[in-house]
Amino acid sequence: MNKDILVLGVGNLLLKDEGVGIHVIRALEKEELPPNVSLMDGGTGGLHLISWIQDYNRIIMVDATLDHNPPGTIRLIRPRYATDFPPLMSAHEVGLRDMIEAMILTEKLPDIQLIVVSAEDISEVGMELTPAVEAAVPEVVEMVKQIIQ
Amino acid sequence: MSERIVVDPLTRIEGHLRIEADIENGKIKDAYSSGTMVRGIETIVKDRDPRDAWVFVGRVCGVCTSIHSLCSVRAVENAFDIVIPPNAEMVRNIMTAVLYMHDHVVHFYQLHALDWVDVVSALKADPAEASLLAQKLSPWPKSSTGYFTALKERLTKFVGSGQLGIFANGYWGHPAYKLTPEQNLIAVAHYLEALEWQKEIVKVHAVFGGKNPHPNYLVGGMPCSIDLNEANAINTERLDLVKQKLQEAKTFIDQVYIPDLLMIANVYKDEWSKLGGGVKNYLAYGDFPMYEYGETDNYKMPRGIVLDRDLSKVHPVDANSPEEIKEYIYHSWYNYTQGDKAGLHPYDGETNLNYTGPRPPYTHLNVEDKYSWIKTPRWKEEPMEVGPLARMIVAYAAGKEPQKSLIDDTLKQLDLPAEALFSTLGRTAARGLETKLTADWALEFYDRLIKNLENGDSRMVNHYMWESEAWPKHAQGVGLTEAPRGALAHFIVIENNKVKNYQMVVPTTWNASPRDEIGKLSAYESALIGTPIHDPKQPLEILRTIHSFDPCLACAVHLYDEEGKYVHQMDTF
Repeated sequence: MNKDILVLGVGNLLLKDEGVGIHVIRALEKEELPPNVSLMDGGTGGLHLISWIQDYNRIIMVDATLDHNPPGTIRLIRPRYATDFPPLMSAHEVGLRDMIEAMILTEKLPDIQLIVVSAEDISEVGMELTPAVEAAVPEVVEMVKQIIQ
Repeated sequence: MSERIVVDPLTRIEGHLRIEADIENGKIKDAYSSGTMVRGIETIVKDRDPRDAWVFVGRVCGVCTSIHSLCSVRAVENAFDIVIPPNAEMVRNIMTAVLYMHDHVVHFYQLHALDWVDVVSALKADPAEASLLAQKLSPWPKSSTGYFTALKERLTKFVGSGQLGIFANGYWGHPAYKLTPEQNLIAVAHYLEALEWQKEIVKVHAVFGGKNPHPNYLVGGMPCSIDLNEANAINTERLDLVKQKLQEAKTFIDQVYIPDLLMIANVYKDEWSKLGGGVKNYLAYGDFPMYEYGETDNYKMPRGIVLDRDLSKVHPVDANSPEEIKEYIYHSWYNYTQGDKAGLHPYDGETNLNYTGPRPPYTHLNVEDKYSWIKTPRWKEEPMEVGPLARMIVAYAAGKEPQKSLIDDTLKQLDLPAEALFSTLGRTAARGLETKLTADWALEFYDRLIKNLENGDSRMVNHYMWESEAWPKHAQGVGLTEAPRGALAHFIVIENNKVKNYQMVVPTTWNASPRDEIGKLSAYESALIGTPIHDPKQPLEILRTIHSFDPCLACAVHLYDEEGKYVHQMDTF
């Protein structure tokens, strides 16, 4: 039997805002969540992740993006193909797109909702978020909680 | 008059790499490799507890994650002379062998195969003939006419949808593709099977490392408690799962990967066993200790250096010696306090950024000046190739078995001389052969582990020097490993119980680095020289050679403009 909902944070924790997905997972770990929901720190996993996430019915993925929006902007997207992903998942882009395509090719693609947070700084090494992105984390947590209800 | 072509981003790799190549009379006359690597890892781990460094460095890359953590704990163990228990050594070996199998199979099928396999041609295949051929090549059971018929239908659907980047954007129909439609269909079938298979093997990392990606390590041993009869420990049931995954992996590698590799090699060998050789020096730190890590003689993969392709001699390498390994920045976007011509041993390494390149968007890099974020490492001033080919060549020159016999047998099977090793084909073949060996060895490590446990030795960690009170005021150490992509070293300097400096010299630094001050090329640049380019607008030949190295720059910081777009002249796939 398939597990139900997985909240998957992805990103590189060492590149400041790039790691926002992981920061969200850590914040969610402190919340009360229904038993049908699992959390996963996917790091920069790429293809490694398929083995764990194909077992779920629904995936809520949280990631950073660098787009035209002000830092900390939160958007919810429903990607159907790898090419629907927003530009620049930076360091882990190749792995993540490959992962989505691989799930299409192996004909087992869970329902995916993608929450992206616009980053300010992902070019420098550091483990802290910039203030605008940091401020977005509680909002993303609320958004995740609404989606899973 | 030569023409400069640019491949940026060079895709189907991990991370960001740009290649500029000058083409004259249809051949590459000169080439420049520019890439981005993680820089400033020392700012993250500086002043932290050295026992925690593995957690952070494991995050630089999701692909090579476990090997960076392993390298880090080995550096600390080296600094404090810690010897880990035999069980921990075997568990580490199994973890690394699993990484090799996963990484190499995924590289071969998902990242490299489409340089040789024409997906669109596969749509023209006769499934009955593909079935006959597949059964001739291998006992692998999925080879019936019905299987290939269904697969062809699936593939037609995928290609027709136009939505899948990997099948939509190839150089399909390029005259350099030489496989028959049936051979192409077999390879594409296995491309899809490899995707399914790779999901299974990584489960071993989760058993021993607690999670995957980014499994757990521990200074002094491994953080897993094994008790054959305890429900809450890694017990017989979990170990049986590991054994099953390792056996399945061996079957897949022996019956799918190796036969496909030989099938493809046979078709391309005349041309590609003579191209892509590059630098003539090979470096391997060696790995897979059967006993204590400090005794290098018992490694499955030997340590050493082969110079100038002279297979009669293996030179020793000492990563701790300030006279051997140095990093240069003459063509890299950094400053050294001693000036740009200096070479620094990694214990004294510096990371002062100094970007002097053109403002994006730009057409060409100024290759006379600095042109890459990658530093240029040298061993006694010589460039080195690292990776599967280097490991196999060092083993071959050392007369090490089973490597030597396996290489000789394969050369005989392909009817090629030993010189064929020094090529793009040799590199790709070495990776496959090494995967076969690690599959065999993984089961040997497993048996050794079980035997130890059954004999009553359950030690998984050595607590010697765990408490920081016992540490000297100053200590330094190097961790050496063979990552799937090649020789990997972490250098740690510890002062007052904290990390004072931390430097990583990663495999892709050796291979992808810019030339040095006197113009000696590193491996990528050198390997491209002389390669014929059939069509500068579709430089498939560049992809073949660069992919044969399995570039990994996932730990890269990006090279995008402020709008979040790639800066490029030409899209590849």
